[in-house]
Amino acid sequence: MALVLRGARVQNRVIVSLIIRELGARFGRYYFGYFWLFIEPLLFGSVIGLIHYMRDRATVFGPFEFFAVGYVMFFIFRGILSRAPTAIPANRPLLFHRLVTLPDIFFARHLIEFFACAGVLALMLGGLYVVTGSFPESPIKVVAALILMTLLSQGLAFIWGAIAEAIEGTARVLQVFTFLFLPIGGLFFLVEWLPGWVQEIVLWIPTVHIFELLRDGQFGSRFRPFYDVFYVIGWIVVTHLIGLAALRITRERLGIEKALSS
Amino acid sequence: MSLELIDVHKSYPMLGGRKIILAGANGRVERSERLGILGRNGSGKSTLVRMIAGVEAPNKGRIKRSMSISWPIGMGAGLKPTLTGEENARFIARLYGKREDRVVDFVAGFAELEEYYRMPLMTYSSGMRSRLNLSISLAVDFDCFLVDEALAVGDTRFGRAFEERILRSGLILISHSPAMVRRLCTRAAVLDKGILTFYDDIDEALATYNAL
Repeated sequence: MALVLRGARVQNRVIVSLIIRELGARFGRYYFGYFWLFIEPLLFGSVIGLIHYMRDRATVFGPFEFFAVGYVMFFIFRGILSRAPTAIPANRPLLFHRLVTLPDIFFARHLIEFFACAGVLALMLGGLYVVTGSFPESPIKVVAALILMTLLSQGLAFIWGAIAEAIEGTARVLQVFTFLFLPIGGLFFLVEWLPGWVQEIVLWIPTVHIFELLRDGQFGSRFRPFYDVFYVIGWIVVTHLIGLAALRITRERLGIEKALSS
Repeated sequence: MSLELIDVHKSYPMLGGRKIILAGANGRVERSERLGILGRNGSGKSTLVRMIAGVEAPNKGRIKRSMSISWPIGMGAGLKPTLTGEENARFIARLYGKREDRVVDFVAGFAELEEYYRMPLMTYSSGMRSRLNLSISLAVDFDCFLVDEALAVGDTRFGRAFEERILRSGLILISHSPAMVRRLCTRAAVLDKGILTFYDDIDEALATYNAL
């Protein structure tokens, strides 16, 4: 028990130092740099929300709330996955420190992404409350959706990071994938709007459930949400198990490559 | 407080067979000892260093560590080029749970970087980078320093200060330079064709190595 606690303390220390290092390196040493962390999702989300606001004012919900908040949720998914292929190569020398494990490197990045998007979400929802007086019906569900999205992205990122390390050139494939995923991921629709047979198909996609949960939290009394939290949790567990195992194999293989090249 | 190798095996798949790095190595290094490990290029020294450092696992056997051993100094420590020397020192201090201000002050006094200490690493010369690396590892203060031919600081003021400091602690020096082993070590071992042989007498080790 004491050993487990000590291990947890060390890992905590490692992750915190990685976060500080990553922030410093990603945004420079000027405080303005940290601003970008928030500006990027805020700007993208707001612009998309605004476009839809001007196009279809007549929907039941405020389209701004619908798309801007939804986009920030998608931004977590995109942000975590698009950085996954570089996580290992960019931090390889760190592995000379026995304390640092491959998952630690991912955890640090994902925590940054999570807190940035949580901050933007809070800012957005606060702003909407001030301007329109509307607030999510169940903030807990919104937060739950945010956490589930981060964890799902994390499991997938473990797997993708390991694949990218094993097979060269897969980073590009991922970019195409997240792009193609945008229309079917659940950001642009409610399951209720779709014909029955399409509903059955899209409900295989875990992020669709997460978006439904988000919308249920935002305006649940105004539509019929479709989601199964346990289905999403199942995905999270399975992707984590596969991903962590893949990272373990990757760590062992890293030694070989270095030996052959030196 | 020691490092112990117990029947350690290591090999890699290679074109047409396996490259054997270690075929059952046994040995023990006490905290106060300074061991030099000699090996020709390609004998697997770097792999041995990584295994001692605990960043690569043996195929078979165990490596027991009951003292703190540094990362392999000379293989890069994951310092970020966009961060300043001071920020990198702070990062390592945080990582190892040391007091940040102490590490930062020690490196400031030891590395002879002057105003460069507060500039990004990418502006450093290679000499400056190596002084920063070595100083940071000294500041973390391990029981035993694991050094992989990184002492390319030569006969400078810094080089002498570094050697003087390292002579007061445990050391495992992996090198193909007999002169350096003679100057810094109390014991030596030779790695050749998968066999790691320990010698209590340095001259005997050097003679064997020179005959390879």
